[in-house]
Amino acid sequence: MTFPGLSSRAERGLLFDKLSRVDGVFCLALCLIASAGALMMFSIAGSSWEPWAANHITRFGVAFLLMLALAVIDLRVWALIAYPLYALSLILLIAVELIGDVRLGAQRWLDLGPLGSFQPSEIMKLGLVLALGRYYHGLSAEQARMSWHLLVPALMIGAPTLLVAHQPDLGTAVLLALTGLSVVVLAGLSWKIILAGMAFVAAAIPPSYMFVLHEYQRQRVLTFLDPETDPSGSGYHILQSKIALGSGGLLGKGYGLGSQSQLNFLPEKQTDFIFATLAEEFGFVGCAALLLLYVAVIFMSLRTASLAHSHFGRLTAAGVTSTFALYVLINGAMVMGMAPVVGVPMPLLSYGGSVMLTVMIGFGLVQSVRVHRYSEVTASKSSLI
Amino acid sequence: MTQPSIILSDVNARQSIFHRRAFLLGAGVSVGIATLAGRLAYLQLAENARYAKLSTSNQFNFRLVPPPRGLITDRNGAILATNRPNFRLLFARQKDQDPEAMISTLAAYVPMDAPRRQRILRDLGNAPRNTPVAIMEDVTWEQFSAVNIRATELPGVTADMGEVRVYPHGGAFAHVIGYVAKVNREDITETGPNAEPIMLHPGFRIGRQGLEKALDLELRGRPGAQKVEVDARGRQVRLAPGGDIPPMPGKEVQLCLDMDLQVRGLELFGEESGAAVLMDCRSGDILAMVSAPSFDANRFVRGLSAAEYRALADYDHKPLFNKALTATYPPGSTFKTLVAVAALEAGFSADMTIYCPGHWNFGGRRWRCDGVHGATNMHDAIATSCDTYFYTISLKLGPDRIANTARRFGLGQAFDIGIPGQKKGLIPDTAYKRRTFPRDPVWHPGETPSFGIGQGYTLVTALQQCVAAARMANGRKALVPRLIRSVGGVPRPEGSDVPDLDFDPAHLALVREAMGSVTTRGTAARTGQIGLGDIRMSGKTGTAQGYNYNGGRGVHGTAGPWHLRDHAWFAGFAPHDTPRYAIAVLVEHGGFGAQAAAPRARDLMRLALLKDADLRPRIERPPPPPVTVAEVETGGPEGPA
Repeated sequence: MTFPGLSSRAERGLLFDKLSRVDGVFCLALCLIASAGALMMFSIAGSSWEPWAANHITRFGVAFLLMLALAVIDLRVWALIAYPLYALSLILLIAVELIGDVRLGAQRWLDLGPLGSFQPSEIMKLGLVLALGRYYHGLSAEQARMSWHLLVPALMIGAPTLLVAHQPDLGTAVLLALTGLSVVVLAGLSWKIILAGMAFVAAAIPPSYMFVLHEYQRQRVLTFLDPETDPSGSGYHILQSKIALGSGGLLGKGYGLGSQSQLNFLPEKQTDFIFATLAEEFGFVGCAALLLLYVAVIFMSLRTASLAHSHFGRLTAAGVTSTFALYVLINGAMVMGMAPVVGVPMPLLSYGGSVMLTVMIGFGLVQSVRVHRYSEVTASKSSLI
Repeated sequence: MTQPSIILSDVNARQSIFHRRAFLLGAGVSVGIATLAGRLAYLQLAENARYAKLSTSNQFNFRLVPPPRGLITDRNGAILATNRPNFRLLFARQKDQDPEAMISTLAAYVPMDAPRRQRILRDLGNAPRNTPVAIMEDVTWEQFSAVNIRATELPGVTADMGEVRVYPHGGAFAHVIGYVAKVNREDITETGPNAEPIMLHPGFRIGRQGLEKALDLELRGRPGAQKVEVDARGRQVRLAPGGDIPPMPGKEVQLCLDMDLQVRGLELFGEESGAAVLMDCRSGDILAMVSAPSFDANRFVRGLSAAEYRALADYDHKPLFNKALTATYPPGSTFKTLVAVAALEAGFSADMTIYCPGHWNFGGRRWRCDGVHGATNMHDAIATSCDTYFYTISLKLGPDRIANTARRFGLGQAFDIGIPGQKKGLIPDTAYKRRTFPRDPVWHPGETPSFGIGQGYTLVTALQQCVAAARMANGRKALVPRLIRSVGGVPRPEGSDVPDLDFDPAHLALVREAMGSVTTRGTAARTGQIGLGDIRMSGKTGTAQGYNYNGGRGVHGTAGPWHLRDHAWFAGFAPHDTPRYAIAVLVEHGGFGAQAAAPRARDLMRLALLKDADLRPRIERPPPPPVTVAEVETGGPEGPA
């Protein structure tokens, strides 16, 4: 294919036509969530744009423009880059394994010199969704239900999950696996396999807890099960987070008045635990409003997936949606003391560039599916060009 | 890549499966979000009260506030020890911080010399980590604000305002009241009041000497608490409004001392070393208890440099020593009044005369007397301090009877006046000799004459001497001294609330008469005249040998090296006819009692009498004009000659 040149009037018209088909309400919801994040960062920095709030808004702005730019890219292009992106991600994950930076005891980052560093696992989240969508696009319903073709997605999901788990980054690994599995399930996996898999996972939990998990991961699980045992040590995060949440009450302590976050009792207050910060200062009402925004984003995104004419578009948009939903659910459960502390941020609300970029690129894909919902993606490479 | 051909029906199948599954996904997400919302409702609505409490206990801490130390006042309410505001710099060493670097930075704002640096480093080394240590007291307002403004350059350094003990009369009360000082590691105990956390507060001071030490727990008060907002590292963020528990100030202690008398008493000694105690001989209240020379207790509060301390400790006049209570001396001739009472008790007549040729021969030795007194009765023997008389009579009495009388006058015992460290002194008798000298357990007759003139083994304190004089003057009560009038408004028992003296009042009256003659025509005739109307002071001088003249190199009088001279004593009371005040003055190595001690006793007594409102009419009444022959003839002073 050729990219539409902006010199031609007709093509420019096409571009605006495409942009006009981007979901405006969806964009508004994203902006509201990101603004809520910036608002909280401003508060916990002691009414200061530095060091987080200004950065957060800038990053969101850039990522938002990127999303719009990706939204106009033809679905066929997405399909075209699906496998190469997946392959690249896998290579980068292997590179991290070999030469990555060790930070906080985990090998997750690749140093890109002046461009800073990033986590290849973030690209993989997108690459995996795209690759799976691309693969299932060529399968029939029966093949997707139960056949030897399913070995390929199994490998596609298994390889990066194991690599990320080995870094070790349990949170992202679980996220990757669940994202991939959600695509597989959405594509029509047989219920027998689903139930068998669930049974297998349930059976595999005790031995993997004993032999696979790292000591600190095991500690986190123990702490999750009984945070009161070590309130100043490993149970500290969960306990302080629950205190922040619970002390917020119905209406919260008031903006800028959350003692848990303002006085640093709450750890990771601007990143993983920002939801607790918000809960403390705005109470149940604020939390419910935020959760509604997330629900709105998820359902608008899921609706976009359902409306797509191409199977590739459906699956990728739904895959991105499930990734996003998983972020929200895992982080929410963690902050509320219903899940162990894993490094999963609240998307768009938490401070941090990598996840923001991943999520917004994902939503770029979703909006692209929406913009191009009536176009078919031919499975063959040649038809794209 | 060969693609399987997908027919339309299959496409529709894929689509419908997807739609069903997507619906399930949506449902799953809804359930998940609903679960979160339910959990939120549980935490934020149902459990809100519990978590709000936890949050508050996170946010607020209580800081101890040291209580203001109790005031110490004199009998009239004049302040003897109080507290004043004090700006000070505190330093709490944080992890990986070099204190020397901090001191160097601090040196730009406050003066900092090498010894001070060393002391700060030592204090910091002794203190537990993260405990603030006072590194500089009494900084000026300018220095205080300079450090406050530059707080960011000086991590761990805080400037705060506390209270510091102040003794407005400098040295006059230093020995009685003592002083407070920083808490040492040894002060902190496992249990009891010294285990309390306030002991670690940098502003807290503990009583180190005198009454500050003896009444430390009463003066301390109860620490308060200040509600402060802290961050997760426990650092104070700001003061929290409300919720403070105010500290309870220490109890106020009122002493029996009179500020004017005490100050005057110290002044009277000048450069001399010694002690003076003045008591109300009706109530037992100690109005003055002076030890000279003294020292400025305020300097001890601030902390003495090693050089300052050595200068005080090495001075041979021993300014740190309370000579009124903890130093014992032979009583010398003042003891003769008690021997006289013992003699009267034993049935000797006061009119019996003993011939004094200026010396007395006994045991193959010639015992010297100060003069040739001729035929001397008891009255004259006391007035002129005739040694011969008392050599003779004490030999007849024997040591045990003398000792018994002396003890009943209060010698050889410590009094519970509230200050620890009192010496009991020594009143020897045959039992003492048996106990103490197993090789020579027998009291030799030759030891009695020395005892009878207040020498030999006998040792007394100035307080005991004053008590003896007070009992002599009172005549009825076995007075005990009282130093502390009340603690926290609760009065201490009076010194007159005691059993009666079991002496024949007539005997005491006889001795008092003789003591009156001491200042009119006796040894202190020139130095013991009080000069206030018709009021007279009675007493007895004493010149006590600190050293044996023969064996040692002691010198009689004021000749020779200071530390070998005699101790000068005066013990007495006034007014002679209706005694109100008793006094004992000791001038260490002062020479003759009549020269060194009597004038000081006179001057202090004069002030006590002048301050006594009851005596003013007597003092202000014009002296009766001399009776002339003409007046006798005409029958009155008004009549014309």
